[in-house]
Amino acid sequence: MQHALILLGVLIAGMGLSVEAGLLGPLGEQVGHLSATLSIFMVGALLLSLALVFVPRRQLGALFKQPRWLLTGGILGPVYVIVLTLATPVVGVGMTMVGILSGQIAASMAIDHFGWLGSEERKVDGYRVAALVMILVALWLM
Amino acid sequence: MVLPLIFILLLVGGAVLAAQSSINGRLGAKTGIIESAWLTFIMGAVLTFLLMFFFEPVQQATLFSVPKWQLTGALFGVVYMLAIVFAVPRVGTAAATVAVISGQLVMSLLIDHFGWLNNAQLPLGASRYIAMALLLGAIVLLYLSHQRRNRRMAAQPG
Repeated sequence: MQHALILLGVLIAGMGLSVEAGLLGPLGEQVGHLSATLSIFMVGALLLSLALVFVPRRQLGALFKQPRWLLTGGILGPVYVIVLTLATPVVGVGMTMVGILSGQIAASMAIDHFGWLGSEERKVDGYRVAALVMILVALWLM
Repeated sequence: MVLPLIFILLLVGGAVLAAQSSINGRLGAKTGIIESAWLTFIMGAVLTFLLMFFFEPVQQATLFSVPKWQLTGALFGVVYMLAIVFAVPRVGTAAATVAVISGQLVMSLLIDHFGWLNNAQLPLGASRYIAMALLLGAIVLLYLSHQRRNRRMAAQPG
């Protein structure tokens, strides 16, 4: 039951990602792609800074005790957002998401298969290959 | 000529997103959800500010002159980041990814179909319905792969 609730929450968060792409495309056309990207990270960073003040038992120090590569998520994020603002005006939100999706699934398979980035190794099986093929066909159909 | 380039860019964007949720899931499990999301957004803001400062061509409109609702994208980004960092350690990466993807797809097709949020209207045609069916099939396959793995793990503990 709790599982289903968490998954529902994640599903809604996924819908939010598409709304973000839908907002970013037109915004980037008007104010510039990098400015649109900046607005996302700036507002996000400020909101989370506020939230951080009210979090009980913050562990900010622990962040910098982690191996440095674990902290690179913030460098990867802008790449995704910049691509979103560039692509949506040209190909539409649907196509953008399918493209992102293919990259996401292919990369997550590679990460699992080879155990990159410290994740445990999970070999690619027939199901996953079939899923990837279906997504590529869908991409071509869109 | 532009289209293939855009696709390559999109694939890279998706690959980067996968790498990021893998990295952030681990970081969040060690330091806390808000802390991990906070660092991600701070670094993102610093990096894009530098890029914008040096490389953005001058535009007519600025972030301060466009209607405010166009700036609300960040709210969705923050919710997504928090949801992922919370969910991945609890339900597993595969299930979380499948849920995100389903939400992404349904919403993006709705936005295109109705041209919401000032986007161009791209009505759903037959080929897009087939594409949607294929994507749903792919999601089911990923779920099955995950289930089979869980059964194997249960059969051979350790």
